[in-house]
Amino acid sequence: MTESFILGLSSGSACLVTCGMVMFPYLMAGSAGVKRVVADVSIFLLVRLAVYLIQATLIWYLGQRIITSPILRTWVSGSLYILFAVMLIWYSIGRKRNKECPAAIISEVENKRMIPVFLGVVNSLGFCPALLLMLTRSSGEDSILQCWMVFLAFFAGSSLWFLPLPLTGKLGKKNIITTVGIFATALAGMIFIIKGITIILGGLIYE
Amino acid sequence: MNDRTSALKPNKSAGKSLLCTLPMLLLTFMFMSGGRPDFSNTAQFLALIITFAGVNVLFFLMHFTGKTDRYRAVLFIVFAISLSFTLISNMLETRSSMSFNQSDVLECRIPFCHLVIPMMIIPAAFTESIIFPGSIIGGFADIASMIILWLTATIVLGRGFCSWGCFYGGWDDGFSRVRKRSIVKKISDSWKWMPFAVLFMVAVTAALTLVPTYCDWICPFKAVTEFEQVTGVESAVKAGVFISLFAGLVVVLPLTTKKRTQCSFLCPLGAINSLSNKITPFTVKIDKKNCTECLKCVKSCPLFALTPANIKEGQVSIFCSKCGKCIDICPNNAIHYGIKGVPAGTRKNFSGNLYLFVSFLFLAVFSSGSIINTLQKLLDFII
Repeated sequence: MTESFILGLSSGSACLVTCGMVMFPYLMAGSAGVKRVVADVSIFLLVRLAVYLIQATLIWYLGQRIITSPILRTWVSGSLYILFAVMLIWYSIGRKRNKECPAAIISEVENKRMIPVFLGVVNSLGFCPALLLMLTRSSGEDSILQCWMVFLAFFAGSSLWFLPLPLTGKLGKKNIITTVGIFATALAGMIFIIKGITIILGGLIYE
Repeated sequence: MNDRTSALKPNKSAGKSLLCTLPMLLLTFMFMSGGRPDFSNTAQFLALIITFAGVNVLFFLMHFTGKTDRYRAVLFIVFAISLSFTLISNMLETRSSMSFNQSDVLECRIPFCHLVIPMMIIPAAFTESIIFPGSIIGGFADIASMIILWLTATIVLGRGFCSWGCFYGGWDDGFSRVRKRSIVKKISDSWKWMPFAVLFMVAVTAALTLVPTYCDWICPFKAVTEFEQVTGVESAVKAGVFISLFAGLVVVLPLTTKKRTQCSFLCPLGAINSLSNKITPFTVKIDKKNCTECLKCVKSCPLFALTPANIKEGQVSIFCSKCGKCIDICPNNAIHYGIKGVPAGTRKNFSGNLYLFVSFLFLAVFSSGSIINTLQKLLDFII
């Protein structure tokens, strides 16, 4: 749980950096008051949570059905941790963010009221490395309830970054916050690389 | 780069420098001996005399030559090595091993160090408990005295603590001075924000898990102090992380970049100390009238605290640890220690002498215990 929350918290900043600038004008568009903005952000987050839980359920089911051997699960899980953690580091430090947000396609949506829903779906189906790490993590859980809890913690951590979205325009020293957020994401990647190595070395998938 | 641009000419008379050293002589004698030196133990007495003389000679030379960093660095590096020696010998005496086991943790026998402080704040505020298995007061390296020392030094010196008080900084400072020229010359400026990310991560993880995660998983100085006994895969991976980080950030990168990379890119306490630079009365000032923007100071700064933009603004950044390297290297005497509120270029001697006295006294007193201890053990061995 803690691990998932921390991953959400650290990667949420990079997620905000990546998609925030695309989503921000839509969420804040027009002369919408605070109530409207809060409603839009809430819908966006709820949709995101719903999609996460569906993904968690699917991946847990597949994890239980397909990879039944504990040894194979150790190797697959450990390797995926390392792979996705390396991707997370690359994703946070190495790429041009503004051009790669999946939410950029919301300009295609004609019904503006559906935009928060659409954003929630696109954002949670973005399959960023942090989400892939979470999917790997949850596929090895013993019960579906534990699997959901892992995703809830991840969702809570990453959502904290979206709550002050309406205030982002007023934040000073945005560059510094962005830089620190990107480094924090990379550090989260490092943690998962170490975790992957530990799993592979010791077969410690069941903590 | 010509490191000797500002020349080694004495800028003060020997008499005047000696006069400035007198208060330091008195105070260090009082602190080191407690006012009553013990003559019964020859090795201990000799160690005390050598340390006392060495420290005061360094302070005298600092005044006499007008060079700060090179003499500070000597004491700073000796401090780091002697503290590791003291810690290791203490652990070997009490536990017969550098590693600690679960019973040491349960009995709170782990020596405390200031790097734990960033992780303690949130849990202490919310749970009213200290998340470190050390003795609160009275034991070896107890928590209360370390926090008071750090807090006092940080309020007075700001990030100066990192160059005048930290007993680990001397390791990468030392390695950064080994080579004459750097091999890696271009390092992105943004890396200096990494310690804030580390601070964020360790503060959050420690608050959520109530475990000092930096000490548990990251601290490179575990390699030269104490570490968890290797009993399984996890502790072996931890030991691998400590050794890799020590080798990378404390040895290899300082050797190749001539920068203090552990302090610049990792240390979470350094991030807090950077913020404390905002409240300390002392600072480093750039006198724009004398500055020719040669940027020698920017190249020499070991902590990425100076950029060309800072020079243009005439202000050092919050990352400055007041080590004095830029002051030593400036060919135009345009950089000096100053007091906030006093314009740059004015009252240079007064501000410089005041800062050096306070910071050097702290370093001398703080380091003397472990230096005397180390020397005593070496003398015991020889005699």
